[in-house]
Amino acid sequence: MTYQIIGTNAARIDAPGKVTGQTLYPGDIVYPNMLHMATLFAGRPHARILNIDTAAAEAAPGVVAVFTAKDVPVNEYGLQIKDQPVLCGPGSGKAGADIVRFVGDQVALVVAETEAQARAACKLIRIEWGDLPIVTDPEVAAPSLAGGLVAADPTRPVPIQLHPHCADNICYSYRIRKGDIEAGFREADVIVEAVYQTPVQEHAYLQPEAGVAYLDEAGRITVEVAGQWTHEDQKQIAHALGLPLDQVRVIYPAIGGAFGGREDMSVQITLALAAWRLAQRGIRRPVKTVWSREESIIGHGKRHAMKIWARWGARRDGMLTAAQVKVIADGGAYMYTSNKVLGNTTQTCTGPYEIPHVAVDTYAVYTNNVPGAAFRGFGGPQGHFAAESQMDRLAEALGMDPVEIRLKNVLTDEKLLTTGTPIPGGVGLTETIIAAARAAGWTQDEAGHWHRPANQQISKSANHESRTTQHATRRGIGFACGFKNVGFSLGYQENSYARIELRGGGEIAEAVVYFAGADCGQGNHTVLAQMAAEALGVPLARIKLITSDTALMGSSGSASASRLTYMAGNAVRGAAAKALAAWRNEERPAVGEFVYLAPKTTPLDPETGYGVPNFAYGYVAQVAFVAVDTETGQVRVERFISADDVGKAINPQQVIGQIEGGAVQALGYALQEHWQSREGRVLTDRLSTYLIPTALDVPDKLEAIIVEVPDPNGPFGARGMGEMPYLPAAAAVAAAVYDATGVRFDDFPLTPERVWRGLHGR
Amino acid sequence: MQPFDYLIPGDHAEASALLAAGNGRVRPFMGGTDLLIRTRGGFVRPQAVVDLKGLPGMKEIRPGDDGWLIIGAACTMNQVAMHPLVQARYDLLVQACNSVASYQLRNRATIGGNCCNASPAADTAPALYCLEAVAEIYGPQGIRRIPIAQFFVGPGKTALRSGEFLTSLHLPPSPQDARGVFNKLGRTKMGDISVVSVAVYRRSGRLADPTAPATGEWRIALGAVGPTPLRAAEAEAALMQDTSPAGIRVAAALAAAAARPIDDIRASAAYRRAMVAVLARRGIEAVLADLSAARAQLPAAGGAS
Repeated sequence: MTYQIIGTNAARIDAPGKVTGQTLYPGDIVYPNMLHMATLFAGRPHARILNIDTAAAEAAPGVVAVFTAKDVPVNEYGLQIKDQPVLCGPGSGKAGADIVRFVGDQVALVVAETEAQARAACKLIRIEWGDLPIVTDPEVAAPSLAGGLVAADPTRPVPIQLHPHCADNICYSYRIRKGDIEAGFREADVIVEAVYQTPVQEHAYLQPEAGVAYLDEAGRITVEVAGQWTHEDQKQIAHALGLPLDQVRVIYPAIGGAFGGREDMSVQITLALAAWRLAQRGIRRPVKTVWSREESIIGHGKRHAMKIWARWGARRDGMLTAAQVKVIADGGAYMYTSNKVLGNTTQTCTGPYEIPHVAVDTYAVYTNNVPGAAFRGFGGPQGHFAAESQMDRLAEALGMDPVEIRLKNVLTDEKLLTTGTPIPGGVGLTETIIAAARAAGWTQDEAGHWHRPANQQISKSANHESRTTQHATRRGIGFACGFKNVGFSLGYQENSYARIELRGGGEIAEAVVYFAGADCGQGNHTVLAQMAAEALGVPLARIKLITSDTALMGSSGSASASRLTYMAGNAVRGAAAKALAAWRNEERPAVGEFVYLAPKTTPLDPETGYGVPNFAYGYVAQVAFVAVDTETGQVRVERFISADDVGKAINPQQVIGQIEGGAVQALGYALQEHWQSREGRVLTDRLSTYLIPTALDVPDKLEAIIVEVPDPNGPFGARGMGEMPYLPAAAAVAAAVYDATGVRFDDFPLTPERVWRGLHGR
Repeated sequence: MQPFDYLIPGDHAEASALLAAGNGRVRPFMGGTDLLIRTRGGFVRPQAVVDLKGLPGMKEIRPGDDGWLIIGAACTMNQVAMHPLVQARYDLLVQACNSVASYQLRNRATIGGNCCNASPAADTAPALYCLEAVAEIYGPQGIRRIPIAQFFVGPGKTALRSGEFLTSLHLPPSPQDARGVFNKLGRTKMGDISVVSVAVYRRSGRLADPTAPATGEWRIALGAVGPTPLRAAEAEAALMQDTSPAGIRVAAALAAAAARPIDDIRASAAYRRAMVAVLARRGIEAVLADLSAARAQLPAAGGAS
C-alpha cells in the first residue's frame, strides 16, 4: 500500500503559532474585566478541619468572594471513584470531606480583582486544625501486606483508616494465577529473587495548571483549561456542581505538556465553581487562575512509587518456567487512576514473555502522600523495571546472552499472556529486539547464538576524558525490552468520535475535521490531519481542524494510553468514508460523523486474572551504554538506542520526537529525578530541588529506530507508541551499570550518591 | 510578587544612604538573578531595590597597582570569564565563572552578587579564596578592604554593615607559573548549584627551575561543605612537603577532614566529605599535570642547548 501523506514528515500544524509566540496557553489568556482566583492548599498531610474563618479574607482589599466546602453542591470527584473532596472542610454534607489527606488538598478559593490580592487574602483565612496521625508507608498503612512473597494476613490491625469506604486502606488489588507456580519452580534449573523499589516521579510539564472560566453566550459554565480529555472534565465538573452535562462546556487551548498528569482534575472544577457561584451573585466576570510551580508540584498526582518482590525460574536452556511477583503501589491520598495503573503493572511485571506458571498479587494502598497518578507508561515502567532486571539476573545465572534469553521467551503472535488469552496479532517484539541488538553491535553466530558487542565498541569514547578520571571510569552495556497496551482496557468499550464536513463544488475545497482529542504537544493534531487527508484523498492544506470543545463535537476520548493516533485514525477513516459517500451523493456540505468502537476487552477474573485485557499493544527494545565514575558515583549514558514497533509511522519525524522525548524523560527517572518527602511533606517542590534532565544530560548519541510491523486493526497499520520508549529504560540503565561495576541496583534513581554508596558499601 | 520601588542612585554616597535608611527593607540590586526569585517567592520583601550597576567602576575590570587586578562587583560572570586580563592570569576564576548556571544566566549574574548572597555553594568563592581576593567595601565610613575569607561570615551572611555595599574584588598578582583547577559536582550537567566544589591553586615559584626547592604555595578551597567556603590549610601545608601520589592522597584526606558538611536534600554529609577528597585529589593531579606540561614547553630555560 502506498500512501501520499501518511509516512511523510509533514510540518507540525501548531508550529508557526508556537514558534512566533501567537499561540495562547491557558495561563496566557486574558479577558476584559477578568477576576483572579487563588487556591488555599492544606499544607498538611492529615488533619480534620474543625473550623474555617474567612471573614478577614473576605474583608481584604479587592476580594470579591471566598468559597469553601459548603459552597460545593456535590463535594466529590475522581476519575475512577469519587473519593476526593473538591474543597476539604466542614459543611458540605459529604462524609469525610472535612479531612485533608495530603498536603495538596484544596481548602478554599479566593476570588479578587488581582492575583496578588487573591493570594494575599488566602493567607488571612484562619483554619482550626485537628491533626491526625500521618501514615506514609504503604506497608504500615496496610499491615496485612507486609512480609514479601507471602499470603496477605488480614488479621493484622490497621493503624488508621484513611477513607470511610475502605477499612483496610487497600484501594485496589489484582490476582493472577496461571498454571501451577510450585510446579514451575520445580521445573526450574535456576531461580532468581530480588526486591525492587521504584521512585515517585513528577511530570514537570512546562505549563503549570491554569485556566479561565466564564459563562458563554448560551449561559453555559465554560472552562478553558489544559487537560487530556475534554468530555471527562465536563463530566467531573457537572457532577460536582450538580448540573446537567449540557450546562458545562470545556475547551482546550494549547496544552503545555501533560504526560498523564492532566488526566485528573486540578483547576477544572474549582474554576467552574467560582464562575458559577459568582454568576449566582450577579457577578458575570471571567475568573482566571494560574498555579505556581510549587502548587503544581504538590497539587497534582505523581508516578506511583512501588515495591516489587519477584521470584522467577528458568530451565538451563533459557526457557522461563515460573514467575511469582508481588507489588505494593503507594496510591497516596486518593484513588485517582490507581486501579488502572495497578492493572498495567499487574500485566507488565512479568515482562513481555510467555511464562507457563505465574502467580501475581498486586495492591494499591492509600497513604497520606501526594496521590499516585497516571504518568507516561501508566504502571508499565515499574513493572518492567522488575521484570527486565529479573531477566538480566537470569541471563547471568544461566551464562546466556541477555538478547538470546529474551528472544527465546518473548511473546509472538498467538502466544498466551499471563491472563490466559492470546496476545492480539501483529506482535513486533522480536523485530524490535533484533533491531536494537544489531544497532548496538550484537551479532548472531551460525549456530544461532547471540553475542554482545566487543568491549572496544562500548569504550570508544574514552578519549574524551581527562587523565585524572580515566582510571576511575567503568563502562557497561544493558539491554531491556517491553510492551504495553494501546487504548483503554479491561472491559471499557473504547470509542472515539470524529466528524468531517466536506465543502466545495466539483472538487473538495475544504475538509473540516471535528475532533475532541487533546494535542498535549505530542503532535496528535498534525497526524490527525495527515490521516484525514489520506483518507479523503485531498492535500493536507485543505484540512481544517476544529478541536477540543465539548460544545461542538462528541467525545474522542483521552490523550492517554498511547491511544490517540490509533483511535483518532480509525474514527477519522470512518468519518471520511461516510463524508465521501455523502459527497458522491451530491450533498453539500457532505457530512460524515463516526464513532469508532475498538475490539472488546474484558475485566480480569478476580481469582485467576483470566481475561482479554487489551485489544492492541506497542513494543520496544532498548540498549544503554553507560560510563560510571566509580569514585563519584556519576553515571553518564553515552549512547542510547530505542527500537520501537509503531506499526506504521504516520509522521516519522514526530515518532522520532516521541522516542527521543520518552527516552530522555525515562533516563531522568532512572538517574536524576529524586523526589523526596518527609512525613507527607514534599521537600522537592521546586525545579531547583527536583531536577530534571538538561540538554547536556541527554545521551551523546540517542538513536531512534522505527520498526513497522502492522497492527491488524490500527489505522494504516499504526499502533500507539507514545509511552513505549519509556518502559524499559530504567532497567536497561541498571543492567548497564551492573555490567560496568558488578554491583546490582534494585532501586533508583541512580543518583551519584546512591551509586557511590552501592559501590563502596556505605 | 510584592511591588517595590526601583532606585538608581546618583553616586556611592547616595546609594549608601538609601541602603542605610532602608534598614534591611532596601536591597542592593545587581544582576537580580537571586533577588528577584527570592522576592517572587516571598522570602524577601524589599520596599525598594537600589541598582548599583551604574555607579562608577562597578562594571569595570582594570589593572590596579603592582600587578593587581580590580574587578567591579557588578561585572557579569561572562564578562569576567571572557576578559583578557582575567584569562591571562586567573584561569581558575574563569573556570569557576563558567560553571555557574547557564550561559544566559551568566549574562545577568554578577561576581559581586555571587559573593553578597554568601551561599556556601557560591561557585566563584573557592576560586576567590584560593586567589586570596580582597573585597573593597563602600560605606558610611568610606572605603574599607577585607580579605574575601572575612567577607563570608555564614550562610547568607556577609561582613557588610548597614549602608555598606561591595564595590569590587581585588586580585593579587598571579604569577605566570600559577595554575588552578576548579571541580564541582552538580546533579545535572548544566546549571545546578554545587553539591561539592573544590578549587586547587598552585603558585609554583619553580616553573623555570624544577630543581629549585619547593617554593610558593599550594592553596585549596572548598565549597558547599560548611557554613562558608573554607580553606583546607593542613592539606595545603602537606602538599608543600610531598606531592608524590601518596602525598596527594594524604592531602586529599586532610582536605576532606577540613570539610564541615551537612545533610540536605542534595546530598548527605558523608557523601560530600568523601567527594571533597576525590575532587581535591583530581584537582591536585590536574594542576601537577598542567605544570608539568607547561615545563615541557619552556624553551629549555637554563638547560641543555
